[in-house]
Amino acid sequence: MAQLVLKNVFKRYEHQKKNIFEKKKVLDFAVKDVSYTCEDGEFIGILGPSGCGKSTTLRMVAGLESITNGEMYIGDVLINDLLPKDRNIGLAFEDYALYPPLSVYENLAFNMRAKNKSEEEIKQAIDYVAPLMKIDDLLNEKPTGLSGGQKQRVNIARAIVRRPGLLLLDEPLSHLDGKMRQQLRQEIKRMHHEIKCTTIIVTHDQMEAMSLADRIIIMKDGEVQQIGTPLEVYDNPENEFVAGFIGEPPMNLMKSTIVKSDKGFMFTFENSELKVEVPKRYTEVVRDGMKITLGVRPVDVIIAKTPVNSTPVPIAIFENLGDERRISVRVGDMLLSMTTAEDVYYTPGEEVQLIFQEERTHLFDPETGERIRPRGEQ
Amino acid sequence: MAQIELEGITKRFGKISALNNINLKVEDNEFFVLFGPAGAGKTTLLKTIAGAEFPEEGLVRIDGKIVNHVESKDRNVSMVFENYALYPNLSVYDNIASPMRSKLYKKDEEYIKKAVNKVTEMMKINHLLDRRPSQLSNGQRQRVALGRCLVREPNVFLMDEPLAHLDAKLRHFMRGELKEMQTSINSTTIYVTHDYMEAMSLADRIAVLNHGEIVQIGTAQEMYYTPCNEFVACLFGEPEINLLEGKKCVCSRTGEMSLSIVGSDKALELEADVRNVLAQHGADNIHIGIRGNDIQFAFEDLGDEWIKGSVYANEPIGNKVIMTIMVADKKIAITCPNDTVADMDQDVYIKLNLKKALIFDGNTEEFITRHNIDSFKKQGKGVQ
Repeated sequence: MAQLVLKNVFKRYEHQKKNIFEKKKVLDFAVKDVSYTCEDGEFIGILGPSGCGKSTTLRMVAGLESITNGEMYIGDVLINDLLPKDRNIGLAFEDYALYPPLSVYENLAFNMRAKNKSEEEIKQAIDYVAPLMKIDDLLNEKPTGLSGGQKQRVNIARAIVRRPGLLLLDEPLSHLDGKMRQQLRQEIKRMHHEIKCTTIIVTHDQMEAMSLADRIIIMKDGEVQQIGTPLEVYDNPENEFVAGFIGEPPMNLMKSTIVKSDKGFMFTFENSELKVEVPKRYTEVVRDGMKITLGVRPVDVIIAKTPVNSTPVPIAIFENLGDERRISVRVGDMLLSMTTAEDVYYTPGEEVQLIFQEERTHLFDPETGERIRPRGEQ
Repeated sequence: MAQIELEGITKRFGKISALNNINLKVEDNEFFVLFGPAGAGKTTLLKTIAGAEFPEEGLVRIDGKIVNHVESKDRNVSMVFENYALYPNLSVYDNIASPMRSKLYKKDEEYIKKAVNKVTEMMKINHLLDRRPSQLSNGQRQRVALGRCLVREPNVFLMDEPLAHLDAKLRHFMRGELKEMQTSINSTTIYVTHDYMEAMSLADRIAVLNHGEIVQIGTAQEMYYTPCNEFVACLFGEPEINLLEGKKCVCSRTGEMSLSIVGSDKALELEADVRNVLAQHGADNIHIGIRGNDIQFAFEDLGDEWIKGSVYANEPIGNKVIMTIMVADKKIAITCPNDTVADMDQDVYIKLNLKKALIFDGNTEEFITRHNIDSFKKQGKGVQ
């Protein structure tokens, strides 16, 4: 059980000299100025596209990579120069790395034997974790006979059997197929609920991060973009990147120019007749001719059932996916998509009027991607 | 434009039979999807039509002509692969032009230019014509591969998981683009996928394959609302359909036949049409297939027909929450609004909307009936 604190952590990889003519190449920072605190017992998800520095961050916490700059604490102890084995950390990677000649039981016991624990203690620990990961009936099997999902269960069980202060999981589910992944996701969540160990999971799958973590850290190009609970990052994205990364189907992000008309400010779109009223709360922060990116989730655009005051647009695509229906219209070159769970049917070409859920629209600066918030709202 | 007929196709790789007596007729201009889990034989079937695999038994007919011994290049089919297969040393323009420069389909350069411009405009890649494949994103590469396939106006388009390599976001957009493009393609298309959303969205008709055999052929709506067995029901929809063991019982209130699920003694009332079919059906052992959308939940007991369970997991995934509920050692996944909060192992009560349930035979796993079954069979749309 432990609190983990990162203070202004940087990481820069340096390339080896390939030949004597080449200078030692110094790359850009892989991790830039990352600071956060994981509370004791918290489940943290680090989420980002490949190459964003999420695994590097995790490896620095584990002690597998040195820290270029900054400080890292577990509890009150500075761990910058502590060896991995002294950090009291449990690690599970995407590949299972089980010892093939050893049975599942022996695999779980291996690290504890190395620490000279008594057989009785080992048995007790294994008897506790095996049912948690649902591997109690596999203890005598060899890894070769196990499915991918079972191997990953054993791998995670091995990471928690020593009761580490901190559990680190690096993409533990990405090797598994859809159904297995969903099942194991639930098991991991229940396991955490049971042992309440501070846990960090690294993933590129937003659904995995959302469903598992208490708080999500979203990274891009080595920098933290936003830290928040799943609902916070979904409802209240800090910038355009977070808005587009979280949510399936993705948020509509539409380039727009604001025009002042006699009815007030309107969003207009290139090569499109569509005009949408700017919500009242934004009137103080927009001006005529301003270029912005309008962000609205597919569930927050609704097709009007009774005539309303808005430009009719033809439906471009209608997809019935059973559980839900996805409808898209063309706005200039862009596609604006909507989803609904209602049993409605449209044919392409049919003209409809759209209602934007005013309180659920977001504005972003097209240059910086930063969120433009109404005055007085933080 | 072509009609494709497969008659008793069997294909073996050594002792393993990859395709087993496949009979299939794809209509002219149809968008036909081959759908199934990995190893079902979808790609082998596609290759058989392309002429890249030759069946041990059976006939392949294109427009009524038997083409078993016609080589691929003479079948006038055009194929898109999952991994693009672009020429790395050629520009986008030359890649798309390449089929029209082959000996067999040679066209003059002026014609080529027109055709390339038309198709690149449609695919929105006309600003990339001078680039090499290595300078493109995956989505752009896939569009080039599609463009190269479309440019030739062949009899048949064959597409092998063209979107599988793309990330979820791009797949969403590309699927939309493909769907929109469909109207401008005047050719028979056979499309292989393992993604149910692609299948449902794009297909005029779907064939579900498993272990080299066709399980069901029909429209997307038929697959979703009236699947022929539990296997097909499980393939469509996310989260997967819940299959609950049930048995016939008599409702104490109405005196009519009703169902109860294992682990609960509550009698669930049935619609009259379902009751009539079930009364004639011999099996006592019933499986109730019900999707996450069709189950209500509450944190207090609201009386009749509400079944008690406990929260196993509560997973927010953005626009909704998937709650998994344990009822008598059976996990039931339900879809909830995105602000639902629940503690693990907390008591919860659920109510099944049996109007939307699919009834299966518990022994054979075959579909028996559902409420208002005729409306799903007659109309493609699936009305209430």
